[in-house]
Amino acid sequence: MLTLAILTPMLGALALIILPSLSQSNARILAIGASGLSFLMLLIVWARFDTSVDAPAFQAFAEAAWIPSLGVAWRVGVDGMSLALSLMSGVLFIACISWPMENPTRPRAYYAWFLFLESVSLGLFLALDLLIFYVFFDLSLVGMFFLIGRWGHGDAERAALKFFIYTLAGSLAILLAIIGLVLSVDPITFDMRALIAAQPLAGMDLRGGLILLGFLVGFAVKAPLFPVHTWLPPAHVMAPGPVSAILAGVLLKMGTYGIVRIPFQMMRETFADYALPLAIVALASILWGAIVALGQTNLKRRIAYTSVNHMGYTVMGIAAAGALLTGAEGAREMALTGAVVEMVAHGLITGALFLIAGGFWARSETYDINAFGGLANVAPRLTVAAVIAAFASLGLPGLAGFVAEVQIFVGTFAVFPWIAAIGLLGILITAALFLRLLQQLFFGDLPKAREGFPDVSLAEGTVLGALLALVVLIGIYPRWLLDLIGSATSAIIGG
Amino acid sequence: MTLWLLPLLPFIAGATIATMGDRSRAWLGTLAIAVLGATLTLALLAAAQGWTATLIWSDTIRLSAEFMPISAAVAVMVPAVALAVTFHATQHEETRGLGRLTGLMILFTGAMELVVVANDLLTLLIGWELIGACSWALISHKWREIENPHSGLYAFVMTRFGDLGLFAAVMALFAATGSFDYAGIATLQGPLQWIVAYGILLSAASKAGQVPFAPWLFRAMAGPSSVSALLHAATLVGAGAYILARLQPSLTLAPGFGTTAIAVGLTTALVGGVVGVLQNHTKRLLAASTSAQLGFMFVAVGAGYPGIAALHLIVHATFKAPLFLSAGLAGSAIGSYRLDQMRLGRAMPFIAGLAALATVGLAGLPVTGGGWSKEEIVKAAEHAGFWLALAVMIGGGLSAAYATRFQLLAFGRSDENDCDREVSVPSWPETLGIAILAVMTLALTMLWFSPVADAAAATLGSSLPKGTALAFSLSLAFVATGVAGGVYLVRHYPALGALGAAAAASDWLGLPTLITVAVVRPVDALARAAAWADDHIIDAGPRGVATLGRRGSTLIAAADNQVVDQGIRWTAVFGDWLARVSDRFGEAVSDGIPEGTARLTGMIGHDLRRLQTGFSHHYYAYIIGGVFVVVAILAAGA
Repeated sequence: MLTLAILTPMLGALALIILPSLSQSNARILAIGASGLSFLMLLIVWARFDTSVDAPAFQAFAEAAWIPSLGVAWRVGVDGMSLALSLMSGVLFIACISWPMENPTRPRAYYAWFLFLESVSLGLFLALDLLIFYVFFDLSLVGMFFLIGRWGHGDAERAALKFFIYTLAGSLAILLAIIGLVLSVDPITFDMRALIAAQPLAGMDLRGGLILLGFLVGFAVKAPLFPVHTWLPPAHVMAPGPVSAILAGVLLKMGTYGIVRIPFQMMRETFADYALPLAIVALASILWGAIVALGQTNLKRRIAYTSVNHMGYTVMGIAAAGALLTGAEGAREMALTGAVVEMVAHGLITGALFLIAGGFWARSETYDINAFGGLANVAPRLTVAAVIAAFASLGLPGLAGFVAEVQIFVGTFAVFPWIAAIGLLGILITAALFLRLLQQLFFGDLPKAREGFPDVSLAEGTVLGALLALVVLIGIYPRWLLDLIGSATSAIIGG
Repeated sequence: MTLWLLPLLPFIAGATIATMGDRSRAWLGTLAIAVLGATLTLALLAAAQGWTATLIWSDTIRLSAEFMPISAAVAVMVPAVALAVTFHATQHEETRGLGRLTGLMILFTGAMELVVVANDLLTLLIGWELIGACSWALISHKWREIENPHSGLYAFVMTRFGDLGLFAAVMALFAATGSFDYAGIATLQGPLQWIVAYGILLSAASKAGQVPFAPWLFRAMAGPSSVSALLHAATLVGAGAYILARLQPSLTLAPGFGTTAIAVGLTTALVGGVVGVLQNHTKRLLAASTSAQLGFMFVAVGAGYPGIAALHLIVHATFKAPLFLSAGLAGSAIGSYRLDQMRLGRAMPFIAGLAALATVGLAGLPVTGGGWSKEEIVKAAEHAGFWLALAVMIGGGLSAAYATRFQLLAFGRSDENDCDREVSVPSWPETLGIAILAVMTLALTMLWFSPVADAAAATLGSSLPKGTALAFSLSLAFVATGVAGGVYLVRHYPALGALGAAAAASDWLGLPTLITVAVVRPVDALARAAAWADDHIIDAGPRGVATLGRRGSTLIAAADNQVVDQGIRWTAVFGDWLARVSDRFGEAVSDGIPEGTARLTGMIGHDLRRLQTGFSHHYYAYIIGGVFVVVAILAAGA
């Protein structure tokens, strides 16, 4: 079932390439259909998923031999964390494919690349084999590279190249670390479940430290964390809105998901030793991301830097959760659950924000915040959507971001009280920066040039409405999500 | 029945009304009465039957709601006052955006009810932040003038700074007890106890507009006057005093808590009193008085009488709301809030009379409800020490002075005949809301009957402090002096606070300027500097690597052309040569094999040339291929 969920979008992409005379609307319908079908399969897996305590850690497992001598095989399976992330990715892909194209050239190729990217993104979250994971990790760069480079605007190719080279450098670090990790088990295997059970590097100081460093550097570039985040703003600014939404919503999660799945789960002792420096880097990302975002005058750059801030919260929670081998289980579990909820919440919220930003470009070809004002006059529905998304992003209760952040902070406080306390400042700065953003875009006088600014169309409104409805649902009644994620995090914390 | 209904009903109804758009005044007024009336009924029912509620988020997170005596009283007061205020809003405020305003005010009431019914810190935090967000939306209501959203932002960020204290308290409580229940606060020890107690005090002080957070209350005056009435009487500001009163038994266990609460409250009461006396802006005078009155409540909590603080909160709500509403009518009548230009006693005598009923409560005159609860606070302070009681009396004198100034300047009768002034007289629906509130104020004079007062205190689960006759008469003397001082100021300095040093001092003695210079501007400058540094310094590393890489790749490309291309060319040449040789000697050896070899080598040469095509995905495939080779070699070796 999971394999089908990965293959369906890929087949859809192939169909788009092969069928020559497909109109744009038909291409879009085909792409929505393929991603919808894939999402349906994930829903079936979810319906069958067992969250009880004695359920196996990884479910819906499937395996097909590939290179037996190296212990490489096609292995897919999910726990509560990866299932939650792939469901979120599925929703976001459907949303972004449904969103009208910003630059309607070569639609077949555009939707084909989108489906390709969906396939590899789901593959990454669902894979239980390190080599498959790595292949999907790198293939995601390829998909994103072409989407930004070919359908972006401005100096898009350069931004795409920067993104590609920067993250490829990170992924090379991961590759070396994977090789190091895999070579320390006998017999050699890339099976994630076996590696988690074996804890191969326990007790190896230097070697374990270096391998951990490789993983953390690679995933920190992808997340991204301070100070290796500078590829993110240009990539976002040049990318079309839906591509930005996927970049922030799905691709950044690969970094944080990777941190939990590989270094945290497979090398617990080493991870615990280096959790404090990681938490400090996360704190720096929280504060730096927030303060730099406050200083931006470009709409997309401002949202992009809040991603650095939010991924900082996530990594802070992860670091706190992994900082101890025993003790404070309740708090550490809460921190990790919060971190995973943050990944889901950030995907939905920032996805919505970037789609809105894309709408700004499509209407006026500028991201300069100062070029707008008083838009509530002409676009009241857009205003409401932006207000909800902004408040969700600044962590208002009743919306998804709060459920994540409060758990991260509460859980982290039990382990690193000072880091959690200082990190609270991030909440304050994001409040200021988002309210200022709303004020500058939507309130005050309407400039002459914006009098014809259209409100959201039906398609846009439906997509935003669906994303924000999920944000509200998670904010008010998150139990269904917390039960799912909690089944994984309690197993991870419990070892 | 579940207690969640109490916040949920106005919340959902308010959100629905806000999205329905603008309707007629009659329609919105009926809706407001229906929804808030139902909320009031629910509150009474819930209090009588002791409803509770829980909502499970996960194994460790459980939201809970329950009534304590104090919360039941406040939960009834909030919709009662909100009903009158919101009805007034539907009849008085500008029709453009009236549907949204009505809906948001109802929603705001629901969020406040969540604060009131909360029985754990997490639920409290949720309500706490929601009322902050509602206040942002309501203060920004007239968003076409950019100053208003700006003020909303100021208010939200300033109060959210205080919210960080509550966040810290939530974190510390969970770290210590593994749950968020209020019950755990009393069991804390050491630094965690300190964080919880002072974190809550910080957020309470910021919401209640205490020094140094007081300036946001002035900025909040950017909202319509009905909004000011709502957030000063029933909702936002009161939340600060309410939560201290609600949690006082546990919080007071923290060392120094009572003293600190008294210090904060007393400072605000005195400074706010002075600011109120000096203000020439009608609504700001009332806003300063709110800070000062909330300061009294902090003193009562610090002195160990949370029940008295809650009673003063309720009494204060009933007289402060009509004052704001009548100030709003006065302001829209003359088109400005300048006190020295009002004197509307002749133009709107009935409103003036209703305002006077509320003003005497604010002044703390005997026989009024406001006077009663203020004297109870004096008595409570007396238990903590005579000097403290004296300071509260001075604060009471200042209240009497600014209340007198307000009434005489806003609703006094001007000496000259002002028939030529164009003043719009309020309609009866506009008056009705104020009248309801004035009746509530009047009803509270019953508190001077000791059986009623004892019953009220018993309902709140507390007892009344005993005071001395000496202190009581001294306090009355201060009130009398205050009234006389107010009259003197109005006679001789009617335009006090309009210009000069008094005007400067009336803006919280320059505190907002200090905040702007010391906090807002440096943070903005830091943000700009950080944005610059991020582009120019942090990105310089990767850019440098990229530049180096480009230079390096140019060199390598040159070498590549010379060495690798040569190699490939030679391979091809070799292949061709081999083919020729094979061809020549082929028949002698064999027919097929050399032919095949030649073709194969030829193809290799061709493929190697394609290697140079520059397609990154080709390189990429080779990297993966190379990786497999490396892994295989390592595996074989391992």
